[in-house]
Amino acid sequence: MNYELKIAWLYPDLMSTYGDRGNVIILQKRCQFRGIEVNIENITLETPLSKLKSCSLVFMGGAQDRQQKIVSLDFLKKKSYAVSEMINIGIPALFVCAAYQFAGHYYRPYQGDDIPGAGIFDLITEHQGNQAKRLTGNVAAELVNPSGLNGKTIVGFENHGGRTKLGAKTKPLAKVLKGYGNNGSDGYEGAVYKNAIGSYFHGPILPKNPHLADWLIAKALEVKYKEKAYLKPLDDALENQAHNFMLKKLVHRSVWGIDRKSMLG
Amino acid sequence: MVIPPVIIGKMISFVSQRLNIGTGETWPGEVALKFKDILSSFTSKLKRGVILIAGTNGKTTTSLMIKRVLEKKGFRVIHNESGANLLNGLVSSFIKKTGWRGTIKADFAVLEVDENSLPIILDSFTPKVLIMLNLFRDQLDRYGEVDVIADKWQKALNKIAGDTTIIVNADDPLIAHLGRLSRAKILYFGLEEPKSFQKNLEHATDSIFCLNCGHRLSYKGIYFSHLGLWHCQKCGSKRPKVNLSTWDSVLPGLYNRYNTLAGVAALKSLGISEKEIKQGLKDFIPAFGRQEEIEIQGKKIKIFLAKNPTGFNETLKTVISLGGKQLLIVLNDQIPDGRDVSWIWDVDFEMLPSFINPVVSGDRAYDLAVRLKYSRPAQTPIIIYENLSRALDFCIHHVNQKDPLYILATYSAMLEVRKILSGRKIL
Repeated sequence: MNYELKIAWLYPDLMSTYGDRGNVIILQKRCQFRGIEVNIENITLETPLSKLKSCSLVFMGGAQDRQQKIVSLDFLKKKSYAVSEMINIGIPALFVCAAYQFAGHYYRPYQGDDIPGAGIFDLITEHQGNQAKRLTGNVAAELVNPSGLNGKTIVGFENHGGRTKLGAKTKPLAKVLKGYGNNGSDGYEGAVYKNAIGSYFHGPILPKNPHLADWLIAKALEVKYKEKAYLKPLDDALENQAHNFMLKKLVHRSVWGIDRKSMLG
Repeated sequence: MVIPPVIIGKMISFVSQRLNIGTGETWPGEVALKFKDILSSFTSKLKRGVILIAGTNGKTTTSLMIKRVLEKKGFRVIHNESGANLLNGLVSSFIKKTGWRGTIKADFAVLEVDENSLPIILDSFTPKVLIMLNLFRDQLDRYGEVDVIADKWQKALNKIAGDTTIIVNADDPLIAHLGRLSRAKILYFGLEEPKSFQKNLEHATDSIFCLNCGHRLSYKGIYFSHLGLWHCQKCGSKRPKVNLSTWDSVLPGLYNRYNTLAGVAALKSLGISEKEIKQGLKDFIPAFGRQEEIEIQGKKIKIFLAKNPTGFNETLKTVISLGGKQLLIVLNDQIPDGRDVSWIWDVDFEMLPSFINPVVSGDRAYDLAVRLKYSRPAQTPIIIYENLSRALDFCIHHVNQKDPLYILATYSAMLEVRKILSGRKIL
């Protein structure tokens, strides 16, 4: 059958700091390569909720502080409830970097009041003071959730000051092989709740991790069409080459990476 | 015995150049910095003062224009030519022009400054002129976000007042906002040419919400990124009236029109006549790697530095408008390039016509290849060479005599390209 999919891109003009658009391009093209009719719905301050609710996949990216403040009222007062409902019925979502923090209960800066979050994920984020190291660099991890992706690797770049701790209702996305992940101490990265994924792999997480993109697309179709979706395999030689090049650079050539991996495993 | 800082700096610079440890541009200054306020003592010896150039894109070209005009008029100018634009690089450029006794025979210093270094530099001395070109997203892992830099600049600008003229890009809402808050003398520049308006806002924009009230800005016209004729419908804040909007651009590309306006406004504020400026900018030769032209085996090569989304978009538009057919793109992820290459997804590679099949190379050639794959019709071949030398061989071999080879490269990649090519021909 001919599938059709609407993807909600939350705040493309406000929450898209550095290459976040890459995720939307990957989702869109990987649908098109397979003949799935796809529409990207830009959901921003002025967009009515009905447009958001008509979508079967949600993406939200990183932001600068000022932009996040502008988004804050609109998201927390209006759109986050709709997103929460959508996620609770199984609609897949991807929250990257600032959006990941924003989807938790709160962000505690080292000065000033807590910044409330949407509470979609059971997690909190704290900044440990202006002397605390920013967690920046290339990063590789091995997926532990969702179960269908268990054991596959992801590569990317992280750049965050906050440390995130997961609550009981949220499962980690991956075990860190190289880099920092959620907090630089417990060895885990990202969060999974139902079919929603949160990650510190900022900006374009999907281009070098097409298996993650396909998982989101498949889940979206399953929820929409209420049947198991079959995704035609694509020629991912180039994407895999880019993935493996970074994985090799980060993990296999690094003694520490291998030690760490065996320690955690 | 106390050795004067100048002598130590000079000795280190001499040794490092002889031993070929780097270009001798960045690190000798590090040592001299131990001597507090050395930069302030250097600048106080200038007969006329310092012209500072700050902004994400266009610093090198703008400062070179100013330097050329001043020198043609007979002034002696100190300049950080090789883009050594951190505090230590500035000190180094003075040390090179300082006698062993610490004397400086110069009228002006024309210095481009790194975005993050502007505050500490404004701490050491008061410039005669400060140019604020633009602020775009650039190397987030190194610089931080645009707003973070703007905050630092705003605090730093409090230190300067009426003895400084600030040349402000009125078309950049964030820069215009900083100008409006400052107590210095302000001259605004901006474009007024509706024929260059773009149809749509690009994705890589950073300041499209009112700095005053947070409302979404409206534009009568957009030139590129968030630059244009902006106004706020809620609070009435709007693009300031400009003091300068037209001048013949010295180089192709809309971004160079801005650079030219900024340079000319600065020169005019120093009392240089329009005639002298025109004379000084005649036959302008660009800085290295900034639309630099070289010839190898009878084939023309043009090198463009392209290091962030807005710069890259504008460079692609320029190459397309020049009728470019052969393109090599080199993406590195070393410290001067930014370790994070996420930004390539903010570049509108989709604008490349289908007859251009770029060759890709550099540390992150595969990331770039994936980006290109998703910007082009399915099954378009992408030629990848991890090794830059082989990429250059391939391109030079395949390019025909008529059409130049255009090379777009990030900072360290641009230096590597020049190094490889200079091994084959003296640049």
